[in-house]
Amino acid sequence: MTDPVYLDNAATTPLDPRVLESMLPHLGGRRGNPSSLHAFGGAAREGLEEARDRVASLIGASPEEILFTSGGTESDVLAILGLARSAGPQKRHAVVSCVEHAAVRETAERLHSEGFEVCWIGVDADGLVDPAEFADALRPDTALAAVVWANNEVGTVEPVPELAEICAEKGILFHADAVQAAGRVPIDVSEAHISTLALSGHKLYGPQGIGALYVRNGVSLEPIIYGGGQEKGLRSGTQNVAGIAGLGTAARLAREEMEDRTTHERALRDRIMAGTAEIPDVFVNGHRERRLSNNVHLTVKGIEAESLVLFLDSLGYAIGSGSACSSGRHKASPVLVAMGLSEREAFSVVRITVGKENTSEEVEGFLGAFSTAVAQLREISPLYAG
Amino acid sequence: MSDSYRPQVVDHLVRPRNAGEIGDPSGRGESGDAACGDVACFTVGISENVLEQVRYKVYGCAACIAAGSALAELVDGRDLLDAARVSKADLEDALGGPMPVGKEHALTLVLDALHKAFEDHWNRKADEMFLEAQGGPRTGGKSVVAAMSGGVDSAVTALLLKEAGYDVATVTFRLHDGERGSRSCCSPDTVLFARETAHRMGLPHFTLNLKELFDRRVMQDFVGSYSEGRTPNPCVACNAHVKFHASSFLADELGFHHVATGHYARVEEGPTLARPVDESKDQTYVLWPVPRDLLSRTIFPLGDYRKTEVRAIAEERGLAVAYTPESQDICFIPDGDYRTFLRKRAATEPGDVVDREGRVLGRHAGVVDFTVGQRRGIGVSAPTPLYVSEVRPRKGQVVVGRKQDLEVREVRVRDLNWFLDTEEASCVQVRYNGSPVSCTVEEESEGAWVAHLDEPVIGVAPGQSAVFYTGDGERVVGGGVVGGS
Repeated sequence: MTDPVYLDNAATTPLDPRVLESMLPHLGGRRGNPSSLHAFGGAAREGLEEARDRVASLIGASPEEILFTSGGTESDVLAILGLARSAGPQKRHAVVSCVEHAAVRETAERLHSEGFEVCWIGVDADGLVDPAEFADALRPDTALAAVVWANNEVGTVEPVPELAEICAEKGILFHADAVQAAGRVPIDVSEAHISTLALSGHKLYGPQGIGALYVRNGVSLEPIIYGGGQEKGLRSGTQNVAGIAGLGTAARLAREEMEDRTTHERALRDRIMAGTAEIPDVFVNGHRERRLSNNVHLTVKGIEAESLVLFLDSLGYAIGSGSACSSGRHKASPVLVAMGLSEREAFSVVRITVGKENTSEEVEGFLGAFSTAVAQLREISPLYAG
Repeated sequence: MSDSYRPQVVDHLVRPRNAGEIGDPSGRGESGDAACGDVACFTVGISENVLEQVRYKVYGCAACIAAGSALAELVDGRDLLDAARVSKADLEDALGGPMPVGKEHALTLVLDALHKAFEDHWNRKADEMFLEAQGGPRTGGKSVVAAMSGGVDSAVTALLLKEAGYDVATVTFRLHDGERGSRSCCSPDTVLFARETAHRMGLPHFTLNLKELFDRRVMQDFVGSYSEGRTPNPCVACNAHVKFHASSFLADELGFHHVATGHYARVEEGPTLARPVDESKDQTYVLWPVPRDLLSRTIFPLGDYRKTEVRAIAEERGLAVAYTPESQDICFIPDGDYRTFLRKRAATEPGDVVDREGRVLGRHAGVVDFTVGQRRGIGVSAPTPLYVSEVRPRKGQVVVGRKQDLEVREVRVRDLNWFLDTEEASCVQVRYNGSPVSCTVEEESEGAWVAHLDEPVIGVAPGQSAVFYTGDGERVVGGGVVGGS
């Protein structure tokens, strides 16, 4: 059997060999703690600051506005809790979209249970937030608002700069989860009035277990981890130097190669959309144009996603069932429900996400396997009358 | 690994066995729904108790699809009794081991769908036949259909028969929609529980849907009797028309000789009913209407045991049912509030509470609230306690009197079912927990009997059972329904 084909790049990307190369010096040999004053510490510190520069460049920030975390989830949680807890007793209201990643959604629910009032902003059938509705929800006592830059399930790209502008005019802090968007959508925080922004390494061909949070100069944040005072006291604990170096390289490559990558991805994505559209009762979810360059999200009527994913896995193709984070919980994805899908439809969705390594041969092979799997599973489905 | 699938599961997913649907099946069963996430559907072709064809369809996770495929492969071409014996454990073995955590439900779902297809098969064959006594008595053979409710008594019944060397097939009846744990996706918990208990004993299990029959012969009679001022006994009605007939039907279909239930009673020569060893659990009073030819093929294994021994047996053999609570008085009114149950179903109007001379003492909200012998809830104050002595539904009247006014020395009985010579009837019991009173019986006219009591009794309510026993009080001579005085 040939090597399996990986089409689940929104779950995690392969590690770029150039990224791995840049990490190795920090994993072996003369390792130091970046907080140490001696030469060993200095070398580590140098790696850290070089990476900080590179991450800052990817999103148009200054290096001192970047702090490193253990990943996208920690960045989101630190931003939401940190902003809310430093907002003061008069500001106990938050505005959050219904299409957030679980890291933001569940943290907002946590705020609610701590006495915060949370206003959930709905979306249209394409998963898009309406700026007018968003603006209406903002109040004088609103501490923060949060809208994902690009949704991790259906890939819809939200009008984040516009929403951030509305908040800036009213003096309200705005958090953007850019874990899926970074490297695919141009992000420039010197233009957009964003207060905090979350990034993750392993969605950018970087290592897993590393992330970054952009915190605009002047925005104050309550930390959630206490200790040695690293990362300006906002994220205590000795830094993951090798991971950070990897993230730095990944950010640099993402900036340099963004156009090539997205052009390549878009071609593969559009071929998959066109190929799957030939199968009856297969529908694309999410916005057709305002969509991540690598994302195809499909409802496949009459089949439960998990069986399709495993079937394709046995044929050598790895795809995602809805959002990888909600599979295994057997609860309809809140994002899909917010977009108006029924419970049953929400169990019949798969996510195919291409990456820079995929080829058009792989995509053609996938389309053949997909149509075989769908036909056979529908054959045994009592809910599909072809 | 507990959270990922075994290769056998993936193999069944990719190469499903027996997938599809039979065009003209002898039975079809579906389990699950969208809320549950999964739907399984089985169609079966059964001929002479052999599962000649089986097809399945599943919408659901890989576990459900693979479980459906493995189950279809396990039962295809098998004898129906063996197919009905296939358990979750067998299914696990076929799939290479336990399902990943959170996927165990797949096994329950596909088994339930297959069993519903069997149930559909029986129901198509049965039609209205439950109404008639089935077949002739077949004695001598060692095969038995044991009714299983999911409780400890019926489970131990099946176990004792198996240990005594019988071929046992178990059956659970769907009687009404008020079962505990009723959910939309699968069968009620009581059915699933009974099936698992049977399977753990290695016994085949079937279900029969008797809801329509039970509604007509038991529940409607229950409501109707109260509206007519009578006090019905639903267990008696069930034993007269439902439980034994359905068990017997299945025994005939399977070519089995006997039927068995977990009642505390014994069957003696005649045939007749005799008191059980555990007199505190005696159920002969509600078994009198079982027709003679059905009783002659009936076994009550628990008649020789005390309840404490039955629980001990269940515990010793590791039956999970050992700790289930005692069943309620009326199975279709689980909360025991039968007044509310009646009021929802019977039109009832307010009327007068009167004394025996016809003087109006007060008002009542409806005759269905009253039973002869009742003391509470009459709503009329008097120097001595008042009891309901008669209910007159046509006039909307409830007649009350003093305790001694309720005394009767004659009881009229109709709809008799005699097991022994009527001359052997020397005492009569008129209440479930009452004691027998000495009497002589006399046939007033064709089918209408009267019992002359040696001492007065109170609270003889029309609609209840009058059961006659032999001189030693041990054997049932016959029984009937108390009529108006």
